[in-house]
Amino acid sequence: MKARLVLASVIIPLGLIIAAVPENTTKPYKLTAEQLLDEVKSGTQFIGPEEVADMVISKDPSLQLIDVRSAAEYEKFSLPNSINIPLVDILNSEWEGYINQDIKLNVFYSNGTNEANQAWMISRQLGYANNYVLQGGLNYWVETIMNPEAPENGSPNEEILKYNLRKGAGMALGSEASEAAQPVAAPGGAKPPVQKRETKKRVQGGC
Amino acid sequence: MGPLVVYEVISQNTNLLLAFFIGIGFGFVLEANGFSSSRRLAGMFYGYDTTVLKVFFTAAIVGSVGLLFMSLFNWIDLSYIYINPTYLWSTLGGGVIMGAGFILGGYCPGTSFCAASIGKIDALAFIGGMFIGILVFAEGYPLWEGFYNAQFMGAPLLNEMLGASRGMLTLLIILVALGMFWIGEWAEKRFSRDDYKLNQ
Amino acid sequence: MNQRRYMNPYLGGVLLGLVLIVAFWVSGRGLGASGAAKSTLVAGMKTIAPGHVENTAFYKDYMETHTNPLNDWLVYQILGVVVGGFLSGAIAGRLKFKVEKSPKITNKTRLLFAALGGVFFGFGSQLGRGCTSGSALTGMAVLSVSGFLSMAAIFGTAFGLAYFARKLWL
Repeated sequence: MKARLVLASVIIPLGLIIAAVPENTTKPYKLTAEQLLDEVKSGTQFIGPEEVADMVISKDPSLQLIDVRSAAEYEKFSLPNSINIPLVDILNSEWEGYINQDIKLNVFYSNGTNEANQAWMISRQLGYANNYVLQGGLNYWVETIMNPEAPENGSPNEEILKYNLRKGAGMALGSEASEAAQPVAAPGGAKPPVQKRETKKRVQGGC
Repeated sequence: MGPLVVYEVISQNTNLLLAFFIGIGFGFVLEANGFSSSRRLAGMFYGYDTTVLKVFFTAAIVGSVGLLFMSLFNWIDLSYIYINPTYLWSTLGGGVIMGAGFILGGYCPGTSFCAASIGKIDALAFIGGMFIGILVFAEGYPLWEGFYNAQFMGAPLLNEMLGASRGMLTLLIILVALGMFWIGEWAEKRFSRDDYKLNQ
Repeated sequence: MNQRRYMNPYLGGVLLGLVLIVAFWVSGRGLGASGAAKSTLVAGMKTIAPGHVENTAFYKDYMETHTNPLNDWLVYQILGVVVGGFLSGAIAGRLKFKVEKSPKITNKTRLLFAALGGVFFGFGSQLGRGCTSGSALTGMAVLSVSGFLSMAAIFGTAFGLAYFARKLWL
């Protein structure tokens, strides 16, 4: 009799509190410094410019390019269909829906890779998935996609294939280069598959 | 931050070792509350002893309040805990069969192991029967496979269905549970038996 | 009756709830029992009739997710339950071989019905994907729909059939 009242007087207030406070939906910080370092070292966050260019050309709807440079730089030059989230604003709740999602493949880019990497590290620590960094940044992009250097004659087929791919991408994206692509001996270039980051699974359980 | 095994704070093997200690706690509490006595368990269905109701629902409300508070303090990530999937018909059908087994046998699986540990011979008979039941299910699986997998609904939460927050639903369950405890204590007086001493 | 009294049920419930929370915090899953029986059964069948296990859908499905059926969370947990129950019984002086029953029925009847109840429970726990602890208690604590459904089905049926089984208990 008495025990029930004791229980009630403790559990009802607790129940009221838990009913009143909003549910905790924030993702906790998940990685230790070592784990993050391992990821950075292994470079799994990088996605190559060819792959990105390919997705841009085919208008792959799953691609979301995110320019993390300042708004002024973004105005001057940006990749097609990219959005601008300056690094300083990355934690702004306005952008959370873009960065914390599991539908699109986000690719951060900056001039080099520094700022994009910083954005990636922040998003990674927040436990967000599907965020990647454009390898080499815009500088490398311009170098390889927009103005690819023709390989020397007698280069391995792979080199030529890569060049053609870049060439085609560059033209589709409107670079000035107008030379015809070199013929390739080997048919068809295999597109590297997009890495899907493995997410933690729910615990298996049950009776 | 938990669950510890998901966050790799502990290894899979440590997890299994800790399962053993969690089991000790589980078994100890069950036995200390008299869940090792089939007459006590069955008493719930005749109203002369509603301990099962009290322990069961107190544990459920403490569990759900506790989990929500742990989530609130960022001690556990509720998105990684196991949620039982709902297969509407087999959940209900299985529950009905288990209910029949409960009233006939006087134990449920957990309590039968606990009762067997203190020497209840009827619990051993129950465990033996349980193996036969699982064997029958396994051997005849193709016969009820369709029913077993019918009406799969994913792993929904009741509060999502009701459109309430977890906290609101928990508060509601607390109030319902306390109401049931009150009825239970009334029933214990109303249906008390001369040949059964309510021991608590 | 020189055995000690049982714990207050509300205190017991709070403690059981805490055990449940610890299980979730450590392993991300709740308590269970019937799954351990299933694992043991599959392990047994594998030893007795390995060919049969390979050809039967149910065992095959199970073996796909478990390389060694006995190396399972629930098996270790149930071993703990046996130890924990024994400890509590030993402390309270309740260790005794006996058949507990209503004074009006024979031992044989009780054992027969206990085994029959076990058969039902074994079958039902597999069909319902969990027993009272694994599905109803744990499921309710995480507010899963299946937890409430199985709780209602188990206790509803038991209440409904209580009248017909009254000779066994009253």
